[in-house]
Amino acid sequence: MSTKTSAPTQTAADQAVSKFLEYTHASTAAYFDACVHCGECAEACHFYLSTKNPIYTPIYKLQPMLKAYKRHKAPLSSIKRLFGLVPEQITKQELEEWSPLVYDSCNMCGRCTLACPMGIDIAFTIRKMREGFVAADIVPGDLRQSEKNALETGSPMRVQAKALQAQVRAQEKDCGIAIELDKKGADYLVILSSMEIMGYPEVIGSLAKIFKEAGIDWTISTKAYEATNVGIQIGSWDTARTLVQRVVDEAEHLGVKYVISPECGHAYSALRWQGPNLIGRSYDFEVIHIIELLHQLTTEGRLQMKSKNGRRLTLHDPCQIVRRGGLVKEPRALLNDVADHFEEMQGAGITNFCCGGGGGVSANSRAAKLQASAFECKMQQFNDIDGLELIVTPCANCRTVLEDGLEEHDSPLEVIGLSELLAQHLDHRQT
Amino acid sequence: MGHKTFSHAKLTLNSNQLSQGIAGVFLFMAAFLMLGSLVFPTNAKASSVRPPANATINALPENSSPQPAPKATGGFVPGNTLGNRSQTSFWKSVRDGAIGTRDTMQAFPSPLIQSQGQDWRYLRNNYISRYGGWLLIGVTGLIALFYLIRGRIKIKSGRSGAVIPRFSLTQRVVHWFTAVLFILLSISGLILLFGKHLFIPLIGKTAFGVVASASMQSHNLFGPLFIIATLTMFFVFLKGNGFKLVDLKWALKGGGFFGGHASSHRYNFGEKAWFWWAIILGITLSLSGLILEFPWLVGTNMWPLLAGLAHGGAALLMIAFAIGHIYIGTVGMEGSLEGMTRGSVDENWAREHHDLWYQEHNKEATGDHPPAKAQAATSKG
Amino acid sequence: MTFLEFVEGPAWYVAITIFTIGVLWRFLGIIAIGRRTDMSAPKGSASAGFVKAIFRHFLPRTIFAERTRVHILGGYSFHLGLFILLFFAAPHVVFIKAHILGFGWPALPRWAFIIAAQAAFAGLILLWVRRICDPVMRQISDWDDHVGTILTFLVMLTGCLALQESVEALRALHMLFVNIWLIYFPFSRLMHAFTFILSRGYTGATYGHRGIVP
Ligand code: HEM
Ligand code: SF4
Ligand code: SF4
Repeated sequence: MSTKTSAPTQTAADQAVSKFLEYTHASTAAYFDACVHCGECAEACHFYLSTKNPIYTPIYKLQPMLKAYKRHKAPLSSIKRLFGLVPEQITKQELEEWSPLVYDSCNMCGRCTLACPMGIDIAFTIRKMREGFVAADIVPGDLRQSEKNALETGSPMRVQAKALQAQVRAQEKDCGIAIELDKKGADYLVILSSMEIMGYPEVIGSLAKIFKEAGIDWTISTKAYEATNVGIQIGSWDTARTLVQRVVDEAEHLGVKYVISPECGHAYSALRWQGPNLIGRSYDFEVIHIIELLHQLTTEGRLQMKSKNGRRLTLHDPCQIVRRGGLVKEPRALLNDVADHFEEMQGAGITNFCCGGGGGVSANSRAAKLQASAFECKMQQFNDIDGLELIVTPCANCRTVLEDGLEEHDSPLEVIGLSELLAQHLDHRQT
Repeated sequence: MGHKTFSHAKLTLNSNQLSQGIAGVFLFMAAFLMLGSLVFPTNAKASSVRPPANATINALPENSSPQPAPKATGGFVPGNTLGNRSQTSFWKSVRDGAIGTRDTMQAFPSPLIQSQGQDWRYLRNNYISRYGGWLLIGVTGLIALFYLIRGRIKIKSGRSGAVIPRFSLTQRVVHWFTAVLFILLSISGLILLFGKHLFIPLIGKTAFGVVASASMQSHNLFGPLFIIATLTMFFVFLKGNGFKLVDLKWALKGGGFFGGHASSHRYNFGEKAWFWWAIILGITLSLSGLILEFPWLVGTNMWPLLAGLAHGGAALLMIAFAIGHIYIGTVGMEGSLEGMTRGSVDENWAREHHDLWYQEHNKEATGDHPPAKAQAATSKG
Repeated sequence: MTFLEFVEGPAWYVAITIFTIGVLWRFLGIIAIGRRTDMSAPKGSASAGFVKAIFRHFLPRTIFAERTRVHILGGYSFHLGLFILLFFAAPHVVFIKAHILGFGWPALPRWAFIIAAQAAFAGLILLWVRRICDPVMRQISDWDDHVGTILTFLVMLTGCLALQESVEALRALHMLFVNIWLIYFPFSRLMHAFTFILSRGYTGATYGHRGIVP
């Protein structure tokens, strides 16, 4: 590419473009070349469906990266250039105009891939394209701030180790089970999201109960307790790697066999699937999602449920855990164990709607209005279930987003985490 | 939605470019049809791959000016042909439609030879093509005159910026599907009807043979699709096209085309007339077309002849009205086309042209694009 | 050399060469860009996912039916019609035998040819009118979409105009458009006829590795 370094604005755009190109792998190139502009992806995206505004067509959100590819990298583009048939140079202004599309209107939920006849993974491509926006520093302020917090304090919400310790102590008292922090040689290391530590600390107590019941040797670290990864959301490889590295270092330092990914969608994706690629090697331990572990424990008979919940409940599938994480059956099996009236919503499982807050959208106040509108699709799914009382979801971020959305709608529906629900129905054999 | 002013909207086509584009495509097609015949007039000979299916018809050698027929003497036709004696009484009974029987095909007696083809040819050439030609020229002239006098009918109060959904995606797709086929069929059909007068003097008989053969093939190919299109269009646009009393008033006021205001519901009298015109003639065209393509479907030889006349007549009547429809849908009236492209129309357009419909639907007006909830309005009709 | 001889001779060879090299170049060029090997511990087979996704995406999911209906109808009737015409129309079989492979196979009877052609035309027109009247498709379409469609339409149209097979001029016209179309193909979105394998496959591989094929 031509590197005109004279004007500073051009430099930002150039940096973005070189990132776009760097992250255009064979898969990305195939996506760009195969797209037939059929617009089917729009039918899957809650941002389009709730606004009917065609600019929210998923593939359209990728336009800048697509243009960079067609101009600089696509096979045969040199011949097309001879005839002036390549797109124009991308400008900084263009990127700025696009920033709301890239950051506010995509949850990286991957639903559009299911509707696309070409199977194009738009979510992952958005993730890659955000790298360019980070390079050009065209990023929503809130995400920048979260990133700064995470790098400085370990937590995007500035939750300090002291706060964690306080919450753990409180939970010990509540459930009467001792929790050993920073235990070397434990089998399992639990990491959490700031949202859980501050907003839903009951989760810690619930885990303590469940693990005691199943006889699991576990610990929480005061050095690496944060599971979320803002680098994945903002689209910064470096940040994402730093944050993953912290967990990996601590897990290997403590010598655990497993790291338990908590009820958080993108945290699972960050550590389980993207992590080894970020740090460039595989781990000395295994990453297991809490749902996977619970499912394993119940099928092995190490956990038993004594009672069933009589309320009419449904399961909200967190995109990164279900559609893009592959854990479709596990949460359902677990729920069926403890629920009398478990009702699936329309499109449940792999084609479920995102809560509207994933991919950094809920952390980005600029997107608040759009997010609220996208939530309409989710709300519709809930409304379609007669007599629904409770929504279960194994993701703390989905949980807050759903709670906020329901509150906006003055809905009496309640939301609860899956492990928390399970803990309520444990059959305590030993006690 | 904050993104309305995106500078990259240039990626998309606006409706002007679009209509130009469409027109361009068809002009281009018509042009190359003619061009094709101009460029390769002398190459028209039998294919090298395999002999033509109806080689007997096509094998007329070029420039084979027909031999002057030898004179018949004393009722005897010269040459050594069978039945070389001209029997006046025999041909008179043929002319009268004599009934006979044959051993194959049909169990009941019917005419074996008939001469109505002569009448058919007379009607086709002297009425359909002559008056039909004048009809099309006349309609085009009237529209041109109207345009010169009245100009483009603008949205008087300007655009409001708010839009109301008017046609659903299904309606739009069905409309354009029908329109594309109709235009393809019109072009090929008109070439078949008028081509010999227009083209033969210009490009000669052989070249016209090429054009005519091509037109016939494409006409036969697209015809059956048009039947499906017409039927679908009937169901998709039926709602709201029933005549009401306001329509009479509208018609009496001349539709407000020459000033004044004429009230109307979703469709005005003109549009309703066009709907029924297109459907009834479309069905006529479909049925007669089927008979022409599959004459064995109907028993006697009269039917294909009648079908031929009906087909030509109906086609010309439909094309004549279509010219007006296309005019008013594009150049003639500001703000109409977008209803059929984007699916929604400006609020002020609705108020000025379909006030009664507007009063029912103005609550659905929104920003620049149809929102989720407004979708219902389109299906309500 | 008559025009027919030209378009069936030198022009045809140039076009088919550009087509072949262009398609290979672009297809292999995409693969050559390469991608990182996934270092995370697999939960399923990436290669099985690659293959599975290619077939999975032939079948649309019913939950998206509202929008996909027209596309399923138009898409399938166009593509199937076209493939039947391409490989089983009598003149094509003869041409393939004479100019490409040296052997042929049984061709369709005329009536089946007509039906396939009608399906293909109906589908193509449906897809194209949808493109001009759907706000979403208008938002994302560019000139390449329209040029590709119109060229394909002209190839098919000239092919059918030559149906009578008695006039060389029409056949030459058809061949002319075929040649243009072949040259245009590798530079355009028509390439999706090949790249769909990669795009579906790569997604299938990514998620197959994760134990799920979307
Ligand atoms: C390319 C040429 C054509 C153009 C530009 C065109 C344009 C339009 C427009 C703008 C409308 C909407 C009018 C409104 O908002 O009320 C419309 C409606 C309609 N058009 Fe067309 N049209 C074309 C060809 C055709 C053809 C060939 C047919 C029939 C075979 C047809 C049948 C209809 C029907 C049935 C309606 C619904 C309204 C009514 O019932 O009158 N159009 N057209
Ligand atoms: S990944 Fe989800 S939010 Fe993003 S474009 Fe696709 S469907 Fe929409
Ligand atoms: S559905 Fe797939 S092929 Fe169609 S426009 Fe969207 S990304 Fe492109």
